[in-house]
Amino acid sequence: MISISSLEFQHGTGEFHLRVPEFTVAEYEKVAVIGPSGSGKTTLLNLIAGILTPKTGTVSVNHTQVSSLPDAERRDFRIANIGFVFQDFELLDYLNVLDNILHPYRITRALLLNKEVRDRARALAENMDIADKLQRYPDGLSHGEKQRAAICRALLPQPKLILADEATGNLDPDNKQVILDLLFDSVRNHDATLLAVTHDHELLKHFDRVIDFQHFRNGASV
Amino acid sequence: MVNFKYCYLGLCLIFGIFGVVTSAESGSKRDKPTVAVANYPLKYFTERIVGNHVEVIFPIPSDIDPAFWIPEPNGVLAFQSADVILLNGATYSKWLDKVTLLRRKMVNTSEGFQEQYIQIQEFTTHRHGPQGKHAHAGLAFTTWIDFQQAIQQAEAIRNAVTKLLPEQEKHFGTNFLALKTDLLNLDRRIEEIVNRRRARPLLASHPVYNYFARRYGLNIRSVLWEPEIVPNARQWAELENIIKEHPAKWMIWEGDPHPDSIARLESLGIGSVVFDPAGNVPDNGDFLSVMHQNVQNLKSAYR
Amino acid sequence: MSRAVSTPLVVGVKGSALDLVMSTLYFDDAVPELMTMAETDRIEDSGLALPIPVYARFQARGFPIVGTTLDYFAFRGLEIADGRQLAIIGETVLGAKAAEALGLGPGDFLVSSPETPFDLAGVYPLKMNVVGILAESHTSDDLAVFVDLKTAWIIEGLGHGHQDLIKNKDASLVLERNEKNVTANAKLRLYTEISEINLDAFHFHGDRSQYRLTALITVPHDSKSGTLLRGRYVSPAAATQIVQPVEVIDGLLQNIFRIKNVIDAIIMVVGIATILAILLVFALSLRLRQREIQTIFKLGCSRLTIVRLMAAEILIILVFSSVLCVGMMTVVDHFKNDLVRIAFIR
Repeated sequence: MISISSLEFQHGTGEFHLRVPEFTVAEYEKVAVIGPSGSGKTTLLNLIAGILTPKTGTVSVNHTQVSSLPDAERRDFRIANIGFVFQDFELLDYLNVLDNILHPYRITRALLLNKEVRDRARALAENMDIADKLQRYPDGLSHGEKQRAAICRALLPQPKLILADEATGNLDPDNKQVILDLLFDSVRNHDATLLAVTHDHELLKHFDRVIDFQHFRNGASV
Repeated sequence: MVNFKYCYLGLCLIFGIFGVVTSAESGSKRDKPTVAVANYPLKYFTERIVGNHVEVIFPIPSDIDPAFWIPEPNGVLAFQSADVILLNGATYSKWLDKVTLLRRKMVNTSEGFQEQYIQIQEFTTHRHGPQGKHAHAGLAFTTWIDFQQAIQQAEAIRNAVTKLLPEQEKHFGTNFLALKTDLLNLDRRIEEIVNRRRARPLLASHPVYNYFARRYGLNIRSVLWEPEIVPNARQWAELENIIKEHPAKWMIWEGDPHPDSIARLESLGIGSVVFDPAGNVPDNGDFLSVMHQNVQNLKSAYR
Repeated sequence: MSRAVSTPLVVGVKGSALDLVMSTLYFDDAVPELMTMAETDRIEDSGLALPIPVYARFQARGFPIVGTTLDYFAFRGLEIADGRQLAIIGETVLGAKAAEALGLGPGDFLVSSPETPFDLAGVYPLKMNVVGILAESHTSDDLAVFVDLKTAWIIEGLGHGHQDLIKNKDASLVLERNEKNVTANAKLRLYTEISEINLDAFHFHGDRSQYRLTALITVPHDSKSGTLLRGRYVSPAAATQIVQPVEVIDGLLQNIFRIKNVIDAIIMVVGIATILAILLVFALSLRLRQREIQTIFKLGCSRLTIVRLMAAEILIILVFSSVLCVGMMTVVDHFKNDLVRIAFIR
């Protein structure tokens, strides 16, 4: 599903340096990425999503070489194939839950908002147990509910790859488990692949594979 | 606010400084210019001079003495509507102090001889006619029965209307000369009548003959009688006092006297003649015919 | 200003030209020193100009009484809308707004106000008959009470009738009545009235040429006459002055414009500060919303769309504020003449 080779990335200032000689994730695999802060985990996710482009090397997702696509196509590819779940949920305060879930459809032309999408959004909310909160605004939700809404938003376009950046980092232990279960169920139901960055070593046992980012700093391949 | 100055500059350009000004001169916009007159002699003179080129209005009712008119709004508005207001002068129109009229429209027809106005010494108020009390004090104003003065007044009228309608100058001049001839004729006739008998004492029923007496050198004493009212005992006594030192045989009246007055005067050996100053429109005839009649009447007093 | 432009020259006693013009053109209650009628004759005799006397010294229930001649109405283009023109002394014609404010129409009467509240030695107020209402002219004439010059002199006490004490049957005058006495209350002879009964007896005293005026609006027959006439007033010994209202009012406006320039400068500084503040607010708001922008970017929004979104928001704010601004400007613009009058001229 994901295949990275000889990747080198440098932030504009040149201070931060990331080198990934080899990195692959198979289809339907659930992979956790761990590593100390500042080791480049989030940068890796951004490179895979095509938000950042590497200096050298290639990034392929689902057999498409993301790193060599032009900007607009790379964006369209991301919208169609990759769902993002963030640590801070990143819901918009001024939209209610339903509008937050539908928001990606409203800001890009690549996605078409129709009745079928709306129905699917409701079904997803049902699954996530927030169907009765759709008209609420993020302020009135608990952290768990916010993250459910954020997962709904990420899953709605039916991506084949879900990138979760510390998705459980802001949740209490009970919620962590519930959200992770929901995430795993969803990934399974959608036949998707999951790449999750986490600090939480307790959760690692649930993943198929764990990659310690320490390796990349040392130039190792995974 | 912002465009204030530009607005003002624009207005300056549009109006000019003096541009608007002439509009203030606008009088009444009618086909014919209008002249209003303050008494009948002026009306007659004006009509003679202007023919039908100018409309002559005389807003004072015909049943009162124009000198003592109590102004009422409609009459005043009629005067206002005129382009020129012809006045007799010599404080004839006392009502002028009480009305709203433009001084610059007024023409004092007797201005030419204002140095010769006669100051009346007697200071009596009396009452007659519908106009209430009035006084013969200050200046004598029956100027036109001195026909030389009448000619000067007519000349002032000619000048005023010529200013109003300059294109009619010749026409007005011709008409004025015809009027002047008529007035001179009257003047000459009176001269002929009174000639060599000027010192003969004469009585006047009312003090309106001052200019007449001065012009023709007559010896006239006045009482304050009204033609239509028979004098009372005090007035008769007064008369008898006067004739002791002023043995007049005739009394001149402004209008036809009461028969009783005529009879009582005759008993005193005094005859009655009428010399109507024609201050208002006469019942019969016009100014000229009334004056000719006056002259005719005068003949009996100077036979 | 247009009134100053349309009034070519004003003659009055030497002193404040501004007072003279304000009093003659706008009937300001600061009455300048008074001149005499002799000046009218002087100008009339010169044959250079038409003098229109204005005697704006007295008031009636808060409105200026303007004594003048018929020339004034013609000169200002004032038409009678209701009733008729002045004809007899004691009559008054009201400006449209004065009539409205006083609730008076032809047939009503209006009593002049004493010159000062404690004017015990002064003459009795005059009861004036309202005979006409002028059409609205949108000038200070709308607020004036017009009378014949002679009527103004009667208010001053220069003319009177001998039958001031009219036999009055008004029962409200009687304070107490017993078999021997009738006591009148203070209402008796509270004002003078010119009626048909005493009109004939009304007369003026003294030398008419010494009667007083506020000023003469002087209308030269042509610009050359105007120049000649002005030349006759240059002597420093002359007791009177001739002024061009345009120049006087222009001088006043120059001052106003000077003030206006200062205000403009202040407005400009405030404006720049406001724009900077607005920019700061937008910048801060963008910074605060950086995460939100980042989020929608990660969700797949193109940078162009983000810029468009932000631009649309700013545009909406600008449009709303512009509409508000235009609305307020329209209101101010609509009342600007009144505002200027209230602020600077009264």
